Amino acid sequence: MADAKQQIMDQVRQQAAISNARALIEKVNEHCFERCVPKPGTSLSSTESTCYTHCMEKYMASWNIVSRQYLAQIQKGVSGAGAAMGGL
Amino acid sequence: MVAGLNDRDKQELQQFVQSESQKAQIQSAIHSLTDMCFKKCVTGRVASGKLDRYEEPCMQNCVDRYMDANMLVLRHLDQLRASQ
Repeated sequence: MADAKQQIMDQVRQQAAISNARALIEKVNEHCFERCVPKPGTSLSSTESTCYTHCMEKYMASWNIVSRQYLAQIQKGVSGAGAAMGGL
Repeated sequence: MVAGLNDRDKQELQQFVQSESQKAQIQSAIHSLTDMCFKKCVTGRVASGKLDRYEEPCMQNCVDRYMDANMLVLRHLDQLRASQ
């Protein structure tokens, strides 16, 4: 029955990864569409696509910085802050 | 599927789920912080894929100051409670 346990754990991990990716994609689109496509035309222009690529990279770089900074902060033991952030 | 597990496995699973849900909570905080700080720090035209020399420290400060502000609220609430 060790298999069943492993199966459940894998499933949970997979679901977590999917929902994390989904949240990132949603946010990237939200920000970058706003920035890069101010006036939607009949197709996505090359300027718009280039902007989108840059914007995406920038957003992911930002995510990594925030992640590093935030984890460092909670590890420093800003007591209670971690729990209070949970509602975000 | 869970029904066939022994007590030890069940306990292990419970711990696993708890730690996964904590991880998910942290990740969701990172998502909303990134959202908020990106809006504040990346205001110019998106000209390159890298954060420039203003944007990067701004993102770091944004997280740090958010935590400070968060602490301020907690401390204030604590004071209110104490003065009652």
